[in-house]
Amino acid sequence: MTRVNTVLGTISAAELGFVAIHEHIGYGMPGCELDSRWWKKPEQRYEETVPKLRKFHENALPWGAATFVEATGICNGRDIDYYKSLSDKTGVHIIASTGFVGGDTALPFFERASVEYLTDQFVHEISVGIGDTGARAGIIKVGVSRGFKMKELDLRIYRAAARASRITGAPIFTHLAVDSEPALAIFAEEGLPCHRVLFGHADDGVSQGKVNEKAILDAGGRIGFDTFGYDLELPDPPFWGRRRQERLDHFLRFLNTGLVDRVLASADANCSPLGWPGVKGHTVNYLFERLLPDLREAGVEASTIDRIFVRNTAEFLTLQPIRP
Amino acid sequence: MCAKHEQREPEGAKMFTGLLLDEPTARSIGVTSANTVLGPVDARRLGVTLVSESLMYVLPGAQYAYDIKIDRAEVFDALAAKLAEFKAAGGGTIVDATGMFQGRDLRLYEALSRATGVHIVASTGQGPEAMLGGYYLTPQTNPPTPWPTQKFAELFGREVNEGMVVPRLERRAAAGMVATAVTESGMTPTDGSLVRGAARAGAAYGVPVAIRCGGDAHAELQLALDEEIGAQRVLIGDMDRHDAAAKGWPKLVAARGARVAIDHIGSTDPRYLSDAQRVALIVDLLDAGHADRIFLSSSATGVSFGVPGNGLPYSQVLTRFVPLLLDAGVTQAQIEQMLITNTAQLLSVNGGQA
Repeated sequence: MTRVNTVLGTISAAELGFVAIHEHIGYGMPGCELDSRWWKKPEQRYEETVPKLRKFHENALPWGAATFVEATGICNGRDIDYYKSLSDKTGVHIIASTGFVGGDTALPFFERASVEYLTDQFVHEISVGIGDTGARAGIIKVGVSRGFKMKELDLRIYRAAARASRITGAPIFTHLAVDSEPALAIFAEEGLPCHRVLFGHADDGVSQGKVNEKAILDAGGRIGFDTFGYDLELPDPPFWGRRRQERLDHFLRFLNTGLVDRVLASADANCSPLGWPGVKGHTVNYLFERLLPDLREAGVEASTIDRIFVRNTAEFLTLQPIRP
Repeated sequence: MCAKHEQREPEGAKMFTGLLLDEPTARSIGVTSANTVLGPVDARRLGVTLVSESLMYVLPGAQYAYDIKIDRAEVFDALAAKLAEFKAAGGGTIVDATGMFQGRDLRLYEALSRATGVHIVASTGQGPEAMLGGYYLTPQTNPPTPWPTQKFAELFGREVNEGMVVPRLERRAAAGMVATAVTESGMTPTDGSLVRGAARAGAAYGVPVAIRCGGDAHAELQLALDEEIGAQRVLIGDMDRHDAAAKGWPKLVAARGARVAIDHIGSTDPRYLSDAQRVALIVDLLDAGHADRIFLSSSATGVSFGVPGNGLPYSQVLTRFVPLLLDAGVTQAQIEQMLITNTAQLLSVNGGQA
C-alpha cells in the first residue's frame, strides 16, 4: 500500500497523476502580513488562484489527476484551510509542507528551538496534523538562508528534517541546492538515504556555478529543475531568472545522460503571492504550455515525461518510514 | 520561493518628516486625547496608567507551534480578571507596549476594554532586530538589504494615521504609541533604523515613542532626537535594569528632557533592580527635580505563549509598590504625577499641544 498526505486526506500514490513538485499557492516572507501594501481581499485571492488551479486540473487530465505540492513553509503564509477549500473546489490534490524555507524564515520561537523540538514539530505535522486543521503535511521543506551559505539554524532544521523523514517517511525538498556538502553530511549522519531528498532550485540563474551536482548525485540525491518559467526573456524577470534555452539545455543534459530518474521538475510559481509582487504571467501551467512542448520538440518521449512527472514523483512522495 | 527587485529607499539626512510621510488624518489629531483601542479618549480620563505592560504576549512563531494551543476564551477570562483586579486597585489604563508583532490582538483588547472598563492603549512598532520577521531583514531583493528607517517610519506611521492592522484583514483603531527596542548587547544597524523609524513616525503623527534601551541609552535616545521629535515625547524603558542604573542612564535621560520608565516593578528577574533599589532610584530622580519625567510600570505579562510569563498582576504598582514609595517619603502628589499626570501628557496625541 502506498500513502501520500494531501490536505484533504491520505490517498494512494496511484491517485496523484501529474505532479508539480514545487509550487506555491502564495508565499510571503514572515512579517509581510503586517504590511497592508500586499493585502488582497479573499475574493481577489480566489479570483487569481482558482482559474490557475482549474487550468492545471484540466491540463493534467490525460494523466488522470493533478497534484500541486505546496512548498510554503511554516511562518511563510502557509494557510492550510485555504488550501483545503481550493483543493475541494478545483479537484487538484494539494500537498502541504512542514518545515521552513530557510533559517531566515523561521521566527524567533523556532530559531530558539532544539533539533529535538523541531523534529517533534515536523513529525506532528506529518503524522497528526497541522494546527487544528486536521490536514497532515506530506513533505518537509528545508533551505539555505540568503547568502548561499548554510547557517547554523539552517543546519539544525536539516537535521530535524532528516530525523522526521526517517520517522514519518515523508520526503524532503530544499530551497537551493548550493552549499550542499554540510547537508549531505547531515543526511549521512542521520542515516537518511538521499533519494528521499530533492535538492531544489539547482536550475535557477543565481545558483549556476554554485551547485555541486556531482556530490549530490554521488550521494544518491535528486536534483530539482523546479524554477522552470522564471525566464530572463520575461518583461520583468526576477533576479534568479535564467535564459530559457540555457535552463532547458541543462535539463536535457540530465535526460540524455541516463539521469532521468534523478531529476524532478516544476515551476515554483505563485498563484497569488503574499508579500511580493510576483512574476506576471508565470503560473504552474508553464509546465504544459512551454516545458512539455519544448521537451517533445527536443525529442523527449512521452514515457520519459511520465517518468518525471508521474512515476518518480509518486515514488518520491510516498511515505516510506525507515525502521530504526 | 521568492520575489522581485525592490530598490532600497534612500536614507535621507535631515528631513522634514511631514513631507515624507502621509499627511495626518483628522482622526489622529486630538488636542488632549489619547488613542485607545476603542478610539480617542480624553487624556484626563485615563486615570492611573501603566505605560509598559503586556496583555497577550506571543513570541513570534509560537502561534505555529504544534504543542501550543491559544484558547481565546481562556485568554479573555485570564486577562479580564487581571484587568478587573487592576481597576479595583484604582487603575484606569493599561498600555500594551509590545508593538505589532508579539501577540497584539486588537479585537480581543477591544472586547476586554468594553467588558472591564479599563482603557487599553495598544502600540505599533517592532524590535529589537531579533524579533523581526525575515520580511524586514532578508527581503526578496538582491542583495537582501534590511529595511531602512523610512520604510519602518511608514509602516509604523500608518498604524497611527490609518489604524492598527489585523494582519491581511483590516485596520482598527489608531496606535497610541510607537514601541521599539534595542538589542541589549548593543545596537545593530537595523535596531538603529527601528529607533529612527519609530521616532520619525512619532514626530509625524504625534504619538509618543517608547524605546527599550540596549547597550547605550544615551546614544539611542540621541538617535531618536535626531529625527526632530521632542525629548518629552520619548520614553526610555528598562531604566531599572542593573546596568542602566549603574551607568547613571536614568538621570542622563531625564536631564536630556526625555521620560524615564521604571518599568519592572515587582520583577524578580536578576537583571533588574530590587523594589528597594527602585525606590531609591526614584527618590534620587525626584530629589533631582525630575518628577515630571518618571513613569512607573511592571511589564507584567497578562498571558504569555512561547516564553514563560512573569506572573505579575497589573495591580502590582498600586498595591505593592506605592506603599513602599510612601514609606520612603514620596508624597501622594508626586505619586499622582508619575501615575496620572505624566502618563496623560505623554499619551496625549501631540503631547497635548495643538
